Amino acid sequence: MSDTKPVIEVENLVVEYGRGRKKIRAVNGLSFQVHQGECVGFIGANGAGKSTTMKTLMGFIFPTSGITRVFGEPATEGKSRQRIGYLPEVALYYPFMKARELLELYGGLHGLSRSDLKKKIPAMLEKVGLAGRGEILLKNFSKGMQQRLGIAQSLIAEPEALFFDELSSGLDPIGRYELRDLLMELKEQGRTIFFSSHELSEVESLCDRALIIHRGQAIREGTVEELIQSSRTIDLHFTLNDLSKVSESLRSRIQPDGARFHMTTDASESLADVVAQLAQVGAQNIRPEVKNNALEEYYMRIVRETETHNDF
Amino acid sequence: MTQTLRNIGLIAKSILLEAIRRKEVYVVVFVACLIIGTVMTMDFFQIQGITKFYREVALKVMSLSTGLMVVLLSARQLPREFKNRTIYPLLAKPISRNTFLLGKLVGAMAAAAFCFALFMAVYLTGSWYLGGDVPWALFFQYVYLQMLMMAVLSTLSFLLSMTLTLSAATTIVVLLFILSATITSATTFVYYTLDQLGQWVIAFLTYLIPQFTLFDLSAKAVHAQQWEPLSLKVMMALTLYAGIYCLVFFVGSALLFKKKAL
Repeated sequence: MSDTKPVIEVENLVVEYGRGRKKIRAVNGLSFQVHQGECVGFIGANGAGKSTTMKTLMGFIFPTSGITRVFGEPATEGKSRQRIGYLPEVALYYPFMKARELLELYGGLHGLSRSDLKKKIPAMLEKVGLAGRGEILLKNFSKGMQQRLGIAQSLIAEPEALFFDELSSGLDPIGRYELRDLLMELKEQGRTIFFSSHELSEVESLCDRALIIHRGQAIREGTVEELIQSSRTIDLHFTLNDLSKVSESLRSRIQPDGARFHMTTDASESLADVVAQLAQVGAQNIRPEVKNNALEEYYMRIVRETETHNDF
Repeated sequence: MTQTLRNIGLIAKSILLEAIRRKEVYVVVFVACLIIGTVMTMDFFQIQGITKFYREVALKVMSLSTGLMVVLLSARQLPREFKNRTIYPLLAKPISRNTFLLGKLVGAMAAAAFCFALFMAVYLTGSWYLGGDVPWALFFQYVYLQMLMMAVLSTLSFLLSMTLTLSAATTIVVLLFILSATITSATTFVYYTLDQLGQWVIAFLTYLIPQFTLFDLSAKAVHAQQWEPLSLKVMMALTLYAGIYCLVFFVGSALLFKKKAL
């Protein structure tokens, strides 16, 4: 955790929709912080509570209980919006407007002068890959182009913090690649970036930290390196003459692999202990193979574990 | 304060832009022009009093069309923002919900004024073609009162669109607007046939529902020879009357919108 000031503070956030029997708890006691200059990925399945949390941070939804602060100000008051760029999960933009006019509207609402906007808009359109498209009506924009424009509108006032809900939604592979470059650039400029995404490779390559949310609760939080590290597994390949000598608990983990056997250990157990146990039952030629599971695999495992233990 | 006014202007400008670029305003004006044009052709038959007839029809058509336009424009503003999710990037900017709402209201009014201005151009061209003097004092009073009526219609549409579906809100406001004269006549007639409790209910409803007929000066503007322009006192009273309704409806909308989860 960083020593810098928190840009986002969420404490025991609860958000409920509906009333009476139809009441749904979308966020259930979520707590986390995002510090200045950090890039944090917000991971979770559909309906996990990511967008609800984002909307609460933007002051669109009011918490049932708990605290949400952005730049030290209560999120519900919206005072911090001057310093935030926000990209909603799905947004259509006014079809009767041209791209330039839309950016003029949003930039103007941020307090940018006409002369500033005149300079910034072409540069911004170029940055998001829409150079020369400023005079096209938005009804003629594809979904990907609208998403690019959405990114442009969130960056137009050069905000200190960026909140992106489903960042690469609607973008093609090239768009995603370009976006990754853009985010790297923003990160290098020291901007705080908090984004939700289903693209875990995106989170893995860009983020300092990741927060995994499941059914409205944070189930894991840490640096991406920590999370991947804890998911690191080692495959042990070996030969074994008599499997019946092996204890039941160990035997259930051993898989035949041609003429040999293999078993997988995870970061929570001591490799030396496992090797000693295998040697004790007559395993020979033990060859370890280290595997670094990607964040995606880690995420899948953690969610399955959480579901199995039902510990939320 | 300056930035708040600028923000209101920016949001209003986007609605005006929509009104100018979408075809529906022009369709309404075109249909109205057809009706007015048909009346003008009667000049060919040299019917006596055609100028008055033209003015009467033209002003009624203009009033009705602009009223419908303002209701449609105002009632759909918020539901469409929610439906298309355009509200999120907009409210993510440093503007308050009240500023957003006021911008929308001003925009809807400006778009209605644009529509009305098109009608005016048609009306004045027709008047010039048919000859006869335009009673300017009454005519300007008519235009001013029409603007007040549009403001009331617009704020009422906003309020109802916050609580009802778009079609329900539009239908209610359109019915109140179109049937205003009938409602006024009916309640006046029924009032004297009721007991005290019934009269209280009728009186309550009379004050609750805006009386749109009060803003209709078209008959006076047509028969200008028989009518003097309204006194300043009456104009101020009507302004106050419209202002109170606008304020109540707008504050109601703002309170509902402030608490609305988006």
